[in-house]
Formats: sequence, structure tokens, C-alpha cells
Amino acid sequence: MNLSMKKNEDGTVLTVIVDGSIDTVTAPELENRLEGAYAGVKELILDFAGVDYVSSAGLRVIMGADQRMSGTGRLILKNVNEDVREVFEMTGFDELLNIE
Amino acid sequence: MISVKHLCKSYNGAPVLRNVSAEIGRGEIISIIGPSGTGKSTFLRCLNLLEHPDAGEILVGHTNLLDPGTDVPELRMKMGMVFQQFNLFPHMTVLENIMLAPCTLRRIPRTKAREKALELLKTVGLLDKAEALPEELSGGQQQRVAIARTLAMEPEIVLFDEPTSALDPTMVNEVLTVIRNLSKTGITMIIVTHEMRFARDVSTRVLYMDEGIVYEEGTPQEIFGSPKRPRTRAFIRRMDMLCFELDKFDFDLYHFRSEVDDFAVRQMMEQKKRNAIQLVLEELIENILFPRMEKTQLEIGISAESGEAEIRALWTGPAENPLNADDEAGQMARMILSKRCSQREFAQEDSRNILTLKLFGETK
Ligand SMILES: Nc1ncnc2c1ncn2[C@@H]1O[C@H](COP(=O)(O)OP(=O)(O)OP(=O)(O)O)[C@@H](O)[C@H]1O
Ligand SMILES: [Mg+2]
Repeated sequence: MNLSMKKNEDGTVLTVIVDGSIDTVTAPELENRLEGAYAGVKELILDFAGVDYVSSAGLRVIMGADQRMSGTGRLILKNVNEDVREVFEMTGFDELLNIE
Repeated sequence: MISVKHLCKSYNGAPVLRNVSAEIGRGEIISIIGPSGTGKSTFLRCLNLLEHPDAGEILVGHTNLLDPGTDVPELRMKMGMVFQQFNLFPHMTVLENIMLAPCTLRRIPRTKAREKALELLKTVGLLDKAEALPEELSGGQQQRVAIARTLAMEPEIVLFDEPTSALDPTMVNEVLTVIRNLSKTGITMIIVTHEMRFARDVSTRVLYMDEGIVYEEGTPQEIFGSPKRPRTRAFIRRMDMLCFELDKFDFDLYHFRSEVDDFAVRQMMEQKKRNAIQLVLEELIENILFPRMEKTQLEIGISAESGEAEIRALWTGPAENPLNADDEAGQMARMILSKRCSQREFAQEDSRNILTLKLFGETK
């Protein structure tokens, strides 16, 4: 997994571009990186264009981030590929998350 | 076209071929499979006299190869061979490698040989590499050049000895595709291979070699679908299976994943299914098995016959189906398994728990 982050000028929109596989091995790293970045963020965008694999370990981190954002703003998932979207659907996550 | 009778070959008194007989018709695509060391390569090498048999008979057309008067160079031109190691000449370009034998052995004019070579490069998809040196090519590309070089002699029969065994798994398919296309041209081919799914798809007949003989032969459906004799059965089952001893405290998911993927590629499983099986395995191991036990035996079978996959986890302990548990941590994993698997069964036999998952099969 590779990850890069960028914020807009006033720091309210954080875009996280993720590449590769979010699984048992890499999910904790994603969680840590997000943990340090929430402050002041109203909109968290996870750009999944480069994500080809997500397992339940990854889903848990995404769910955690969504809950974290739900009080003060929102989380949006972008560019989710078909295989990954199927994993969201199998677990009912597609109903719970904002997927664009 | 080729008729082999009672072929015998020993090395230093140790018999390798005990009594090999086979009839191969014009245009047939024969795959030879079997355990390591059972003489498959030796058999191929006898066919084009790279080895001299001790006894028996080999007829190619009406020529008896073992007649002292047989024109061996002439025979070799009729019968091309592609090896596991590509053996291209390193200091010559791809084009020169292909033109060499036609120009020197067949004395074909250079312009004509060149034309033919370019045409062959096109059929193996490497026209743009004509002027490259072998070292500038990947293993798969080198093997495709080696195939083009063999075809340049316009052989009637091509022998392949494990043409993809030396290749990185990502390059296996491009070479198999070239061989598959070649098999449609009516040329006679004999292929020693460990790629079972490929053998199943392209062959007109499969020879299973073991114990120094052709132990069983039949159509691909017969040999892979319902082998009759015990050694054939055991072999087919083994080739379709990958086994692991998993240890929770010494488990490298990525290493495991790449071994499974290599195996799945060799069974010609497409990318989407490979992703699906990886997901099922990760969920099973990390969220169902490891929270409950330290050590598990895992067997992964991918049928070369049907493309179905079967995963079996075996462990000792109290009889309890982990798929019926209701721990929160395993909940998503169980959902994924229930959606991805066509069958999920738990059983206990001799105080061993066995969980069986099937993918891509018929839903029961
Ligand atoms: N030139 C040789 N001299 C001595 N023994 C040999 C020679 N070539 C092969 N053998 C022996 O003959 C036996 C059969 O070898 P062969 O290479 O034909 O097996 P194979 O079925 O092709 O195996 P693999 O699947 O590993 O390629 C082996 O025990 C091997 O060690
Ligand atoms: Mg061999």
C-alpha cells in the first residue's frame, strides 16, 4: 500500500490517495496515518482509484474513519473499482458509506 | 506418424525407460505428464536421437531411426525441439538467431530466410524485437524467440520439454499462448509439461509416464477427469494441490499470497478469481482460524479439469464449527465467506476438525 495526503487551503478538506492493497498487513498503517490527520477536517475524501484489494481489516479502518467523521463532517469514497465495490456490497458497507 | 515400440534406456545399469510404446498420429498434440525422474525428457531425447536407446524401435513415417543408415541430421530438421532453457546465442540478434540454422543447414538464401524469420517473429508477437539481443529480452520473450527459431526449420514435428518451467509465473501465459496457437496449425507436437490446465486444453491425448512405461494414456478428459490407475490418480490429485502448515506466530501473509498466486496462475485461473480466492483465504486465516488456534494445516486445490477451487483447513481441538461462532471480529469474514463460497462444510473425523470451502463450483 502507498498513501499520499493533501489538504485544501483552509485545511477542512483532506484528500487521501491510496494505492495497492488494504489488508491485514497494511490496514493498521492506514489507520495510523489517518489518526494524525483528522484535526480540523470537515470532509475526508478517500480516493481509491489505485486500490485493487480490500479485506475486512481494511473495511474496519474505513468504518472507523467514517464514524470518526460523522459528528463533525463526512467521509467520501471516490473511484472505487469493481472488485473492491463488491466487497463493500457483500458486507453491506455500500449502504452505510458515501461512495461516489 | 511416430511409432515407438518397446523402447528401453538405462544409465549405468539403472533402467529409466523399461518398455515404452506409443503411437502418435499426424497432427496430434500429445502431452506427456508424470512425476520427476520418470524419464519424460529421456524419452523426448531418444525420439530425436540426442540419446541412443538400448533397445526397441522408433519409426518416423517409414524411417526406422535406429537403423545405422538413418540420416540423423536430416531427421533433426524434421523434428524441432524446444527446451526449458532457451539457449539463444547471446552475441547474435533475435533475427540472426532465427536465421542461423535455415541459412547454414538448409542453405536458404539470406533474403528469404530473413523474410521467413520476420514472419515468424510476427506470429510470436515479437516483430519489434528483431534487432534486440537476447539479454535485452524477458525470459518469456526469449522462449518465444526460441520457438520461432525452431519453426524456422519448418519441422513436421515439434518436441517441447517443459517450455515454461524456467519462467517467472507472470510470463508463462504468453508462451503457452504461442504454443496454443501453434497447435491449431496442424503440426504434430509432443509436449512434456507440468502445466496441467494447459495440457488439458490443448492436447488430443495425454500420456502419463511412470515406472519406466506409459503407465496410462487417454484423452485429457479421461486422464484429468477420471484417471483409472492408482499412480495416475495420486499424481493428478497432487498436481492440483498446494499444502501449507500455518503457524499463527510465524505467518507472512504476503509470502503466502504470492505462493498461492503462482499456483493459481499455473492452473490458468484468471485475475478476478485469483483476487476472490485471496480474499477468502485472508479472511479465513486471519479472522476465523488464527483467533482460535495456533497451528492449522491448509490445503488448496484448484482443479485443472473444472477450474473449481477447494480450500480445506484441518486442525485438532474440540469439535466446533468456527463459521457458526458469533464473535464480532469474525462477523465480516463470515459474511464474505458466505457470499464468495458456493459450499461451506464442517466435519470432525478422528478428532480432527475439517472445514471445507468451495469456490466457483456449482451451488448446492
Ligand atoms: N545423461 C544421464 N546420465 C545419467 N543419468 C541420467 C542422464 N539423464 C537422465 N538420467 C537419469 O534418468 C532418470 C530420468 O531422467 P529424466 O530427465 O528423463 O526424467 P524426467 O521425467 O524428465 O524428470 P523431470 O520431470 O524432473 O524433468 C533420472 O533418474 C536421471 O537422473
Ligand atoms: Mg525432464
